[in-house]
Amino acid sequence: MSITLLGNILQIAVFAGLILAGILIILIWVKDKTKNISTLRLFVQIAFTVLIFLGLIIGPYGLPQNPYIGDAPRDRLVGADLFGNQFPDGLSVPVLACWYPNGRTITCAVWQLQAYLFPFWESGPGFGWGTFYSLNGLQRIAIVFGFLIAMSLVIGRAFCGWLCPFGLYNDLMIRIRKLFGKKHLSFSDRTNKALGQSRYLIIAAFLILSVILGSQAIFGIQLIDNTAPGEYYYSYFSAPFCQVCPMKPLCVLIEIGAGAMLPLQEINHSTGAFYQAGYYVTSLNLAVLAIVTIGALAYRRFWCRICPLGGLTALFSTFYPFKKVALLRLNKIEEKCTKCGICKRVCPTQVTEVYEEKGGDVTVSGCMLCARCVEMCPYEDCLEVKMAGKPVLKSRNWLEPTENE
Amino acid sequence: MSETLKMKEQKQQKKYVPEISQKEIEELNKSIETSSQKIVAETIKKMKETDKNRPKTMKYFDEMADLFDKRKKEIIEEKKSGKKVIGYLCLFAPIELILAADAIPVRVNSGWYDASKIGDRVVPVEVCPVIRSTIGAKMVALSPFLENSDAIISVLTCDGMTKLGEILSDYKTVWQMTIPRIKDSDQALQLWNKEITNIKKEIEKLTGNKITRKKLRKAIELTQKATKAFRRLQDLRKGNPVIMGRDAMLAIQTYMWDDIERWTENTNKLCDELENRVKNKNWSTSPDTPKVMITGTPMFWPDNWKVPTLIEEANPQGVIVADELCSNERILNDPVGVDEWTMNDMINAISERYLMASTCPCFSSSDGNEDRINWLITKVKDYKIDGVIYYVVRGCMLYAMEYTRVKKVLDDINVPVYYLDTEYTREDVGQMKTRIEAFLEMLSARKDF
Repeated sequence: MSITLLGNILQIAVFAGLILAGILIILIWVKDKTKNISTLRLFVQIAFTVLIFLGLIIGPYGLPQNPYIGDAPRDRLVGADLFGNQFPDGLSVPVLACWYPNGRTITCAVWQLQAYLFPFWESGPGFGWGTFYSLNGLQRIAIVFGFLIAMSLVIGRAFCGWLCPFGLYNDLMIRIRKLFGKKHLSFSDRTNKALGQSRYLIIAAFLILSVILGSQAIFGIQLIDNTAPGEYYYSYFSAPFCQVCPMKPLCVLIEIGAGAMLPLQEINHSTGAFYQAGYYVTSLNLAVLAIVTIGALAYRRFWCRICPLGGLTALFSTFYPFKKVALLRLNKIEEKCTKCGICKRVCPTQVTEVYEEKGGDVTVSGCMLCARCVEMCPYEDCLEVKMAGKPVLKSRNWLEPTENE
Repeated sequence: MSETLKMKEQKQQKKYVPEISQKEIEELNKSIETSSQKIVAETIKKMKETDKNRPKTMKYFDEMADLFDKRKKEIIEEKKSGKKVIGYLCLFAPIELILAADAIPVRVNSGWYDASKIGDRVVPVEVCPVIRSTIGAKMVALSPFLENSDAIISVLTCDGMTKLGEILSDYKTVWQMTIPRIKDSDQALQLWNKEITNIKKEIEKLTGNKITRKKLRKAIELTQKATKAFRRLQDLRKGNPVIMGRDAMLAIQTYMWDDIERWTENTNKLCDELENRVKNKNWSTSPDTPKVMITGTPMFWPDNWKVPTLIEEANPQGVIVADELCSNERILNDPVGVDEWTMNDMINAISERYLMASTCPCFSSSDGNEDRINWLITKVKDYKIDGVIYYVVRGCMLYAMEYTRVKKVLDDINVPVYYLDTEYTREDVGQMKTRIEAFLEMLSARKDF
């Protein structure tokens, strides 16, 4: 009873807060249009978060049920039959918006990669996760990579800068720090570059881990107990990264707040150790979230420097040969630059290439295309974000204090 | 006992400057002041004659241009009310910090020819006349800003400036700041950051006012607004000549000693008037006039103003639409870009703005001071410059040495550049006129072609 009440209060609070924030942002935004890129970005971030977590819950409840999990909120999502039985996990999008509470319409690409990788070898539907699919593992993997590459080629890491709900969370931490007037810390360039490269190690490690843990499905040998399809640990270890992902607790919290998920659910469905450990959230999730929150208070966009999902997106938009065809690019005109260093200082992920490179395409794997440098560059047209060669955002002669505290 | 007395005496003794009798100082002071006022009046008269249709709002800047009149009285008045005046010699001095401590920043470099002759008594004639003139002005207590400043910030940029601070410390408290000669490295920024923090402490100690976050933010916003007004003026100069170059240069130069808020207001008024003129197609001179850019050694009001005068009064006439002088456009070109309004970030932003955005040739880099080159090329393109005058005074090594580099780049984009070497002296005016007219003739011939 009290938990339901708490859920209701949370729900009202979250809704009211989001609506207020939305109105406020729209008001500021209308006042000076795209003059202030940071405000526009905050608006887009909040709008996308609302869309992902709240917009998609409207619709017929009680669509196909997952026999392992029961009446999970994701089963009530309108997108469940977007692809019918063919592709019940939804579009894989490179933002940290969890499959666990709200999959089936939009799903975090990292989860799909891990989850699909180990039934890769299975021949067809009807085995393990394949129960729900009419496609086989190879086709599903191809679809995931297809989505991922296509999206990365279109807007690249702008997913991280403009859409990712966890990016929003990191940005909110910056705003909280600013309220207290505290300065941020910075990594040395070397450390920052090392962190940027470490994300590919993280991806590799988790993919390998998901193959090892899914050994029953692949090799027919169970390397770890209870990891066969249908057994308790199967769900966990088919997607090991998700068990340390800092976004999952927040997703669950928002869904509980929005009423799409009942807090009691975990008790109703507790049928074993797996459920008692917490239906969705593991203690690792919470620990990592705590670390990342503290990190985000000290360093700007702390998580985004090591995020494996950002790494995947960067892989398909800033590395050869993808960078030749990627559409959204950050461009710099050498002659207009006086190397004043503002772009280097304001970059939330401490990208130095924008400052160091002479000119031309300066989109690098660390860059989230948040356009903070474009906003702050005081030289007209020096930096610009280009979509398929056409400028979308340009640096301009701002010279009015942009940030209101 | 006697030894300590001797020591004290030695300390009071001036290290560089020879003793001059009070009578001589007064005489020189008076004669230079009168001649200076005459020159100011004459130059402004000439400016009015050249442009019959001179903007009316220039009246304010004319008033400010008289160094011994309104602003001098204001500064003395404000000093009486307890405000401190802090002078600075190079553009690297952080004006925002001075403003945040409720002090008045004034630039104290001097442009008097007569004063440079007095400066010859201390340093040889080979030294840059800006230095000599400033020393001379101090010796005869000429400059109202230098006289009234409580402390002087001297930044060790070129060789002349390095010793100038030392010589001036015979008279005043001088805070010297070391500037790293390489700006593209972390350690350089760290050093400069420490210098800025140090100067902040000194300013706080002198004025007795603590520089708080709010005050500093206000000061930064004030200079940002000034930069905005300046850029507005510059944008207007990009099209057909709506204002003569001398007028604009004078307006910008008064920023060095004017009250910044009032300056911004008046510059915006000037821009309003100019915008109206653009609408009415009311040009200051024929739109076919060759557009000239000046780069090189700084030009200081009032004596060191002969080159702009010569260019705009020559036959055929040229119009100055842009310059790259640290006495003019470089003062205001770069804003302080603050990411977060925390004390730490504001100090970082200030130190980066002064160090990294600067295109002073005192910096050395393996890419050949590319920042300055880039800026020049952008200006040439933006303002559709027909020719560049590379102005160097004798003794200005750094600018003279970069000439070859600039010429090479400008040759590549097919813009003629003319090396004009001169002095503060008035004697070479006739000869310079011939040289400038020849260059301008060539430019207009190219234009016709």
